[in-house]
Parts: sequence; structure tokens; C-alpha cells
Amino acid sequence: MIRALVVDDELHAREEMVALLVETGAIEVVGSCGNGIDALKLINRLRPEVLFLDIQMPVVNGFELLNMVAGELMPHVVFVTAYDQYSLKAFEEKTLDYLLKPVDPDRLAKTVAKLQRTIGEKRRPVYQAEEIRRIPCLFGNRIKLIDLNLVECIATTVAGVHAATADAEYFTEVTLKVLEERTPLLRCHKQYLVNLDCIGEIVLLEAGRAKIVTRSGKNIPVSRRFLKLIKKKLLI
Amino acid sequence: MDLLTFSLHNIFALLQQMSVFLVIAYLFTKSPFFGSFRSHNLRPRQLLVLYLVFSAFSILGTYFGLHVKDAIANTRAIGAVLAGIVGGPLLGGAVGLTAGLHRLSLGGFTALACGISTTAEGLIGGLVHLYLVRTYRQDRLLNPAVAFFTTLVAEIVQMVIIVLVSRPVDEAVALVRIIALPMILANSCGAAIFVSIIRDQRKMYDELSVTFSAKALKMAERTVAILGRGLDNETAQEVAFVIREETGVGAVAITDREKVLAFVGQGDDHHIVGSPISSSQVRKAISEERIVYADGGEKKWRCSLSKTCPLGSVLSVPLRVDNELVGTINLFEPKNKIFRITNRTLGEGITKLLSDQLLYARYIEQKNLLTVAELKLVRAQINPHFLFNALNTIIAILRKDADRARDLLKHLSNFLRKNIKRTGDLATLEEELNHVNSYLVIEKARFEDRLQLEMDIDPGLLSLQLPVFTLQPIVENAIKHGISTLLGQGVIRLSACREEGLARITVEDNAGNFIDRGSTGLGLGIIERRMKNYCGNDRGLEISCVPQCRTTVSITIPDKGGEGR
Repeated sequence: MIRALVVDDELHAREEMVALLVETGAIEVVGSCGNGIDALKLINRLRPEVLFLDIQMPVVNGFELLNMVAGELMPHVVFVTAYDQYSLKAFEEKTLDYLLKPVDPDRLAKTVAKLQRTIGEKRRPVYQAEEIRRIPCLFGNRIKLIDLNLVECIATTVAGVHAATADAEYFTEVTLKVLEERTPLLRCHKQYLVNLDCIGEIVLLEAGRAKIVTRSGKNIPVSRRFLKLIKKKLLI
Repeated sequence: MDLLTFSLHNIFALLQQMSVFLVIAYLFTKSPFFGSFRSHNLRPRQLLVLYLVFSAFSILGTYFGLHVKDAIANTRAIGAVLAGIVGGPLLGGAVGLTAGLHRLSLGGFTALACGISTTAEGLIGGLVHLYLVRTYRQDRLLNPAVAFFTTLVAEIVQMVIIVLVSRPVDEAVALVRIIALPMILANSCGAAIFVSIIRDQRKMYDELSVTFSAKALKMAERTVAILGRGLDNETAQEVAFVIREETGVGAVAITDREKVLAFVGQGDDHHIVGSPISSSQVRKAISEERIVYADGGEKKWRCSLSKTCPLGSVLSVPLRVDNELVGTINLFEPKNKIFRITNRTLGEGITKLLSDQLLYARYIEQKNLLTVAELKLVRAQINPHFLFNALNTIIAILRKDADRARDLLKHLSNFLRKNIKRTGDLATLEEELNHVNSYLVIEKARFEDRLQLEMDIDPGLLSLQLPVFTLQPIVENAIKHGISTLLGQGVIRLSACREEGLARITVEDNAGNFIDRGSTGLGLGIIERRMKNYCGNDRGLEISCVPQCRTTVSITIPDKGGEGR
């Protein structure tokens, strides 16, 4: 059985997709959700092998979601859309397949066959993530997209990953590693990324450590192994 | 020879010189320089021309002068004084100084006095100019009486200067006794006559241009309306008739690129409408895209169709629409008549005007086509996203609730039928709401809890007329760009109410996600234009957006039902 996650913002469309997948007998639907943030959470937690993904969703669309998935967790992707306005053929190399709504069971059977073949051959998903420009963060019960220029630093604690701007702190589902890979933010500590444009000063401490004071006055620790790198980047 | 005889002799001699002078003045009014002759608000270029002209007159006055006792009795003052009157102190002074310096160079015991006095005379003329302009009597600038008296005073001043400046004094006094009367009279009369010549010529010019403009305007007025209907045999015939009647030429022909569309006037027995263009001149006008003129003199026009054709000259003007040559307008005169320049100008002018009119007609036609096409577009614009999502939703619901699915299909078919079937430009609010309702029932099923609908419609407005397909695109916009971008609960509020003699229909969503897409996107742009077409330019869409909070789109329509009560 192939473990699948269904992501679609419309309730009935989601349920229909789940029902159709169950009917194939080859897919185990491990979860379903209605937006990109929940999807990211479920991918991180459930590690599905394949994602049946609607493209048009509120706040974070299908493409943006994929950009935030960590490389090693990236599932195979089947785009599901009502109308092919994105010319999905163009994404054929990047994704496993795409389906048009309403989904024809016969067509779905072909997709499943392809999936079985691909997974049987242990081929890795080839979706190439692009640079992240805005970080989706939880803000009360809303999702806010924080522009990368405003982010001073990212910190990971036991509570999760936080993006700090000059005047607020937001919780995000995107991992530190993904942000390090797909944004210009720079690693300065095992638990911290920093925005070079926001560095106010670097204070050197004993034992080769240092701390960064941001423009807004936040203190960010810099560990020994990353200090050199940062100095190099800043041409010191 | 006593003083009086000498004086009289001088008067006649000077008057004789003056006549020659006036003939030259008359010729000046016939020259192209006269075109720039105005009496106030002169531009630098015109001032320069006037300076040269009047300086020439003034210097001529010196040369035509009569040698008396090592001095020159002359009409130099006319140029200087008139320059002052016409162009002000600067021009008068400049002309006076130029003529004065010239006089100075000729020598004689009064040379210096004459030099000074001519400049002074120019300035006197200039002072009169200033006085008349400041007292808002510019119309008197070209008054012979003003010229006469100004010159009179100026000449008296000159005599005084001669007596004061020239040495020896007794010789100066003797000279002035001889030349004073003739010079004062001759110059004053000369100036007055000069001015009256100028004035008459100006009047003639003005009258000519008035009749000319009147004729052109009348012809324009009569032809422009006709060509508003485009260029075909019928309109061409009417236009040709008008042009012939207004210009009085022998015949008028209008052609397209290949054949004769209309022929009115002499020779219409053998110049047949519908036949191909036979005249080489007209063909030349088309192939070379330029005006071809055969004046009947050196370049004759010969009819290639009939030896007995009375026509002998032609003006063939290409008719263009948007740089594309569509035909020609041709004016003919018979062999025994001269082609008048005014008719030539009129013919060229009217063709230009008609070209513009044809362009305008084409523009209107295209605009109408566009409106029709746009309506078709709105009609055909069933968003494929909506349609496939609707079908997908219904298929999903079919698994769980067949009755609801059946109901949704009925709404979908109602929506589609309305989209395809509704004809005409107007619909009642009730019909629009019916259309919107079917749409919303389906969208509600798609979004379920994420979409909440609130309606507040004044029942008295249900028969209100508005352009068909106005409401649904606005609601669709609110869902597509508003509700569907929300993670949480979306609300659409649809209201229609009366407001100060107007009916206001409002669609509001709680997303506040409106982005101005240039002309508010294709859909809303079309609605806006159609609203303006229907209700006038001050009506349209009012869009307001509080980001993250709400977007409100409202339309106002004159509430005719309300007025009737």
C-alpha cells in the first residue's frame, strides 16, 4: 500500500479524492487537510510517500507548499486541479503526474500504476524546490506570510521554529534546515539563522564565540564554527 | 522766386515724390510681408519684418527727397512715425534711428538735426501707440486721422530741432521757412494715405477670409454628418452634391481606389457611377498618394471617355483613413473657366476634414462592435474553474446525498441556460438575482462552511432595470479573489437599497483582498463600461477596500421606479 496525503481546500473535493483513492485498493490515505500549513505539518509528521495536491488554495498554494517541504521528506507529487491554467505539462518533469477534476477513476488507475512503478524502483521524487520569499507563520488563528526582508532571525527551540521580526515573533512549521537551504538567511548557530542585512553589530566574546546584536537590539549567539563564515560573508 | 512760390513748388514736388512712395506702399500691401502686418501684440519675427519694411520706407523717403540749400526736403518721417504707431516706441525708435543714421551719413549742415529728429519722430509715433493701447483704443492704431496728426506734430518737432541744432542758426531758420510747410503737409497727408491703404487692404483680407471660412464651415457642416455613415455610393453622392453646390465648380467626383462612387455636374452623361477610374490624374493621385492638380493652363485635363467633355481642369485629392488611402475627391472646372485658388484650398481642406470624419465613423463602428463582442464575452465567460469545480462538487455530493446533488444540478443548468439564453441589453434586478442565486447555491456547496451568504434586498427594487450580466461577475469576483483566499469563514453580503433617488446595489466580502488590476480586470472593466453606457459617465463601479477586512463593490442606478411614484 502506498501512503498518501490528500490536500484540497474544498471539503467535498477532498472527500471525493479520498474515496477514489480508497477505491483503487492500492493506496492508504494516511491523512487529508484543507490548507498548505496543515499539509506541511502532516508531511513532517506522517511522512507520506505521495501527495495528491490541489494547486489553488488560500494563503499558501500548492507550489509554495512544496517549496517548504524538506528535501528528505519530499513525497512524490500528483497535482489535482479543476482547470489547467498553469499548463501542468510544463511541470511534468518535476512532478509524477497530474489529474483534472472531476477525476476519472480509469485515469487515476494509470497514475497509481505509475506510482507503484516509481516507488518499486525506489526512485526519488524529483521536485526541485525554489527559493522561499515569504515564510508562512501562525498568528493567532490566522496565517500570516512574513516577508523575508523583515525577518531578523530564525530560532528553533523545544517549542518549535520561530521567525523574529523587529517587533514580533511568529511560529512557523517550516524547518530551520529548509529555511537555511532555500532562503538567503545565514546559519550562525546550531539553533539560529540570521538575516545579514539586519546585523547591527557583532560582539566578540571569549573562547572564539561571539554574539550578534540586531538592528532592533536582539542578541543572537554565534558559535565558533559559524563565526568564521559570517566574517567571511561580511568581508571582515 | 518768392518764398510762397518756392514753398508751393516744393509742396507739389514733395507730393509727387509721396505718390511714388505710396505706390510702393501699395505694392507692399500686396506682398507676402503684409501677412505678418498686425498693429499690436507683435511677435519678435513680425517686429523684425516691420522694422526692415519701415526702415526701407524711411530711407526711400530720404532718397526721394528734394535737395534744398544743402539740405533735403523729404518724406522720411512717414516710415518712422508709422513704425512707432504700429509697433510702439521700440520699433519707432529703431526705425527712426536707422533712417536718422542713414541721413547723417549723407551729410549737409542739417544732417545731425535730421538724424536726431527722425529718431524723435519714431518715438513720438511710439508714444501715440502706447497711449492708444493703454486706453484700450487699439482699433485707432490704423486710423488715418491719428496718423495725420501724429505726423503733423512730429514734423513740427523736427522743424524745431533743426532750428535748435543746426548751425549756423540763420541758415537753419531760412531753411525751415522754406521746407516747413511742404514737409509738414506732405508727410502728414502721406502718412494718412499710407494708413488708409493698409487699412483697406486689411479689411479686404478679413472679409475675404470671413467669406472663405463661412463657406468652408458650411460645407463641413453639411458633409460631416453624411460621412458619419461611412463611405459608399449613397453617401459619396450626397457629399459630391454638397461640395459642388458650395464651391460652384463644374463637377465633383468621388472615387474609391478602383471605381467612381459618385459624379455630380457637367459631364455626368459619360462619367458613369460604378465605372472604373479612367482619368490618369486621379489614378496618379491614388498610386502616388498625393494631391494632383491640372490647372487647365499648362497642365490640361483631358477626358479619356468623351471628346466633347466640357471639363478641362481637375484637382484630385486623396482621401485617407488612418493613413490608408480609401479613395479620392475630385473637383473639375470646364475648359472655359479658371480653377479658382479658393476652390483648390477648399477642396484640399474639405478632403482632410472628411478623412477625419471617416476615421471617426470607423472608430464608432469599432466601438459598437466591441461592446457587442464584450457582451458576448461576458456571456461566454463561464469560468472553467467554476464549471469543473462545480461538477466535481456535485459528483462528490452524489455519493452522500443524491437529492442535494440533483438540486445542485438543477441550479447549474439554470445558471448555464441563463448565461447562454438571456438576450437583450437590460434585465430586471429580479432576473439578475435569480442568476446570482443559482451561482451562489453551487459555490456554497463548494465552500460549505467557509462561505456564508447574507442578502438584504429591498423588494421594491426587484423590477429595477440594469444592464444584463452585471451582478453575477461582481459576485464571482468577490468569491474568486476574496472568499477563496481565506482560510477561515468567508462572508458575502449582497444588498440593494434606495438612496436619494438612486438604487444602490452592493456586493461585499470580508477578505479585503482587492488588488487593482489596471482597469479593474477584464470582467469588472466591462461592467464599468456598460454601466457608463447605460447610466452616463458619472455612474460606474465604486470599489473600496479595507485590506484584510472587506472589499465593497457597489453600483448605483437612477431609480426610475421610485421617480414614477
